[in-house]
Amino acid sequence: MDEFQEILQDFLVESFELIEQLDQDLVELETRPDDLELLNRIFRVAHTVKGASSFLNFDVLTHLTHHMEDVLNRARHGELVISPNIMDVILESIDLMKALLNTIRDTSADSGIDVSGCVVRLDLCTKGYGDVEVPAAQPAAPKAAEKVIEEVVQEEVSSGDELDYDNMDADELEAEIERLLNERMAEDKAKRASKLSSSSASKEDEDDSEQEYEPIVNIPVAVTPARKPASMRDDSDSMDDARAAAPAKKQSTVEQTIRVDVKRLDHLMNLIGELVLAKNRLIKINDDVEERYEGESFLEELNQVVSIVSIVTTDLQIAVMKTRMLPIGKVFNKFPRMIRDLSRELNKKIELEIFGEDTELDKSIVEEIGDPLVHIIRNSCDHGIEIPAIRLEQGKSETGTIKLKAYNEGNQIVIQIDDDGKGLDVEMLKRKSLEKGLITEKEADNMSDKEAFGLIFKPGFSTAAVVTNVSGRGVGMDVVKTNIEKVNGIIDIDSEIGIGTSMKLKIPLTLAIIQALLVGVQEEHYAIPLASVLETVRISKDEVYTVEGRSVMRLREDVLSLVHIGDIFEVERILDSSEYAYVVVLGLGTSKLGLIVDTLVGQEEIVIKSLGEFLKGIDGIAGATIRGDGGVTLIVDVVAIMDMAKHVKSTALIDTTSDAAMLTHEKTKASDYTVMIVDDSKTDRTIMRKALEPLGVTLVEAGDGQEALAILKQGDYNFDAMLVDIEMPRMDGYSLATEIKKYNRYKNLPLIAVTSRTGKSDRMRGVESGMVEYITKPYSSDYLMSVVQRNINFRSEFLK
Amino acid sequence: MSDKLKQIIKKQTQKENENLDHADDVVQLVGFIIGDEEYAVPILSIQEIIKPFPWTRVPQVPKYIVGVFNMRGAVIPLIDLRTKFGLSPKKHNEDTRFIVMREGDDIAGFVIDRLTMAIRIKKSDIGPAPDTASGDDTAIDGVGKQADKIITILKVKKLLKRDF
Repeated sequence: MDEFQEILQDFLVESFELIEQLDQDLVELETRPDDLELLNRIFRVAHTVKGASSFLNFDVLTHLTHHMEDVLNRARHGELVISPNIMDVILESIDLMKALLNTIRDTSADSGIDVSGCVVRLDLCTKGYGDVEVPAAQPAAPKAAEKVIEEVVQEEVSSGDELDYDNMDADELEAEIERLLNERMAEDKAKRASKLSSSSASKEDEDDSEQEYEPIVNIPVAVTPARKPASMRDDSDSMDDARAAAPAKKQSTVEQTIRVDVKRLDHLMNLIGELVLAKNRLIKINDDVEERYEGESFLEELNQVVSIVSIVTTDLQIAVMKTRMLPIGKVFNKFPRMIRDLSRELNKKIELEIFGEDTELDKSIVEEIGDPLVHIIRNSCDHGIEIPAIRLEQGKSETGTIKLKAYNEGNQIVIQIDDDGKGLDVEMLKRKSLEKGLITEKEADNMSDKEAFGLIFKPGFSTAAVVTNVSGRGVGMDVVKTNIEKVNGIIDIDSEIGIGTSMKLKIPLTLAIIQALLVGVQEEHYAIPLASVLETVRISKDEVYTVEGRSVMRLREDVLSLVHIGDIFEVERILDSSEYAYVVVLGLGTSKLGLIVDTLVGQEEIVIKSLGEFLKGIDGIAGATIRGDGGVTLIVDVVAIMDMAKHVKSTALIDTTSDAAMLTHEKTKASDYTVMIVDDSKTDRTIMRKALEPLGVTLVEAGDGQEALAILKQGDYNFDAMLVDIEMPRMDGYSLATEIKKYNRYKNLPLIAVTSRTGKSDRMRGVESGMVEYITKPYSSDYLMSVVQRNINFRSEFLK
Repeated sequence: MSDKLKQIIKKQTQKENENLDHADDVVQLVGFIIGDEEYAVPILSIQEIIKPFPWTRVPQVPKYIVGVFNMRGAVIPLIDLRTKFGLSPKKHNEDTRFIVMREGDDIAGFVIDRLTMAIRIKKSDIGPAPDTASGDDTAIDGVGKQADKIITILKVKKLLKRDF
């Protein structure tokens, strides 16, 4: 059973791949009905599927493909001209074939689909439109094929060791036989065409085939006509041929690709992601080590290793990303067929031109953009391209053209759909939207052309006066927009009445890794996809105005509505906001929003991670990423933010409710007073402790600036003053003071510098960073005590 | 002689059976303290126990979800069981641990006050959840009775389920 499943899987994968190519070939065939190469290819598909399905006992599918094969075979022999009517039947049968294959995939059986109607029509094609000698000619090819199968099987049984058929599976065998058949057909044809025979060529040919080597494929078909017609060949001859072909086939079609489960690729991608993080950390550590052990000889070696690791990791990351890339042709392939069907259905003449189908995109995106493209192209056919009569009237060519282009532009891929139809009528769009209540009169008046084009993406909008089968049900275009936005893409429309419409879909190359702008608010960081960032502006607080309860600012000619990121993400205001703020101008299509942030951290390439099942669907958060320091940073969902901004109440930039209350606790005894001593020298700390102990106040010690800051952040104590040494490792006294002053809570905390630096400039820096006193070492303990007493408002009655 | 041998063999098989029964009947749990209560979860549902490290706050979620953290490249939600069980939040100290629990694809880290120990408890010593806390809604799987105390056994599946 398992083995069967395995074969079945292979069969399905192969069949779907074949069919994908088939649609395109068939449409092409219609324009070039006598292209033998093309016909052979199509025939081969029907035949391969038939052979494999009969082997797997899918009777319905075999039945259908068998009749398809008959029609195609006759066409191949020039006994049947492919007319559009016949093509319709063939296409119908291929659709049925697809449906059957889908059923097989889902249920492992091919029942439930009626093919008899189609089979009858196929037979009609073979009989009715072919020439007189139908009954005799019709079954010839399949019979021959079957005969060969028998022969091969027999041969295989009797002399298996001699041949490598053992190693072939059913499909390969089928293909093999197919090849033989084709070759013979070609020979027949060539023979009929030219009676010229070159004996030397034939001899050479035969020699080659006896030697069982591949050159046979290299010999042009034209030199083989000397051979006997296929029907008269004996077994051994055909076997020779087969043997000769076998290695050739191996050589030419052993594809340089293997199928890999997408899950494995995803797993690989995750591993690489971890490697990238590890690399980032390694670089950081390397920098630290470099600083500490400057001039050591091992540093250079370490540097080399780190840079090699970093280069290889980056390359590896790119390589793995590339394995997930698919040519966009995969999506484009189905459109020629679709256009053909549509043009017949709509009685229009439409031509599709495709450019850049080799452009590569991440697999997940390729999957997402298929449907939106279908909608857009249907729309162009239905509403864009006019019927031939009107086109002629307007002096255009009878046939409308739709151009489908894909190309890279920076970090994005652009898919452009151009039609030379009637174009979008701005006034009509506005009128329609007004009628349907999608916009107000006022909005309509203020609308630019671009904005008006955007109306077609509004839910509930449909421009077709008559609702057709093809489009115009009022869904569609807004789905297009949602889908494209889902992959962080944007849509740009340009149109001119009478000339045509051009739509550009701009999509990031990959979903997994994006460029982001990192911003800071209070102590938190957020990543904003750079694709949605138009610009950043630094503003001072008095540039923000309030209109109808909303913050706005003037940006050049426009008025930009503002929202604070802290209001959207409920960020606690611990730090004092500075004089200036930054506005990140977000743009999505035509709408704009200014997002106020405290700081801009920088631009970075980030790996998008999902927040998982438990936290999915949080408003305004699109995912998370892991930064170089191992921390998690959340990624902003720009689309959602734009929406949320409408409901968020603006709060004043200046936070008035600082918790000063925390600092004014009632002191009832000496130990209620708390003083922190920050000094890297244990001796100095002990000296200060000794000096202050007589006061009876609580003393907390910290070895450097960062430790001190950590203690402050923990909030376990309410400090009344801090004694700060200036020269300390990791974070010196000045930076510590600057950091402390950022907190609302500690704004008024007295900082006392205790240092041996006596220079004027040192004192000045101390004052600048917010120190209230400056004690120079050495000092008397009485002096220190009095300074501290003064600064903490120590009540003298506590003195023992 | 042969009787003796038989007896010994019989004894041995009996012992083996006993052992088997024993293994069958015992559940292994990991106990931890939240507030004043001791709780436990099956040892097999625990992926790892780690010391607290920095996490990132996530907006628009209930208070008991403190944020997300990075565990070797995976972004994992962090849930404070104190808050979830209606206790007042407490500063993390050196006893605080994150227990990462997994069930199928669902995974999350839980902040607990203190670990106690790995517990082996007989199935027969586990009673059902009290009536007041039974039903589909409860996170209590049962109550394990031990010599000197009782332990509340939690449903990992329920803990990992999003309920907002």
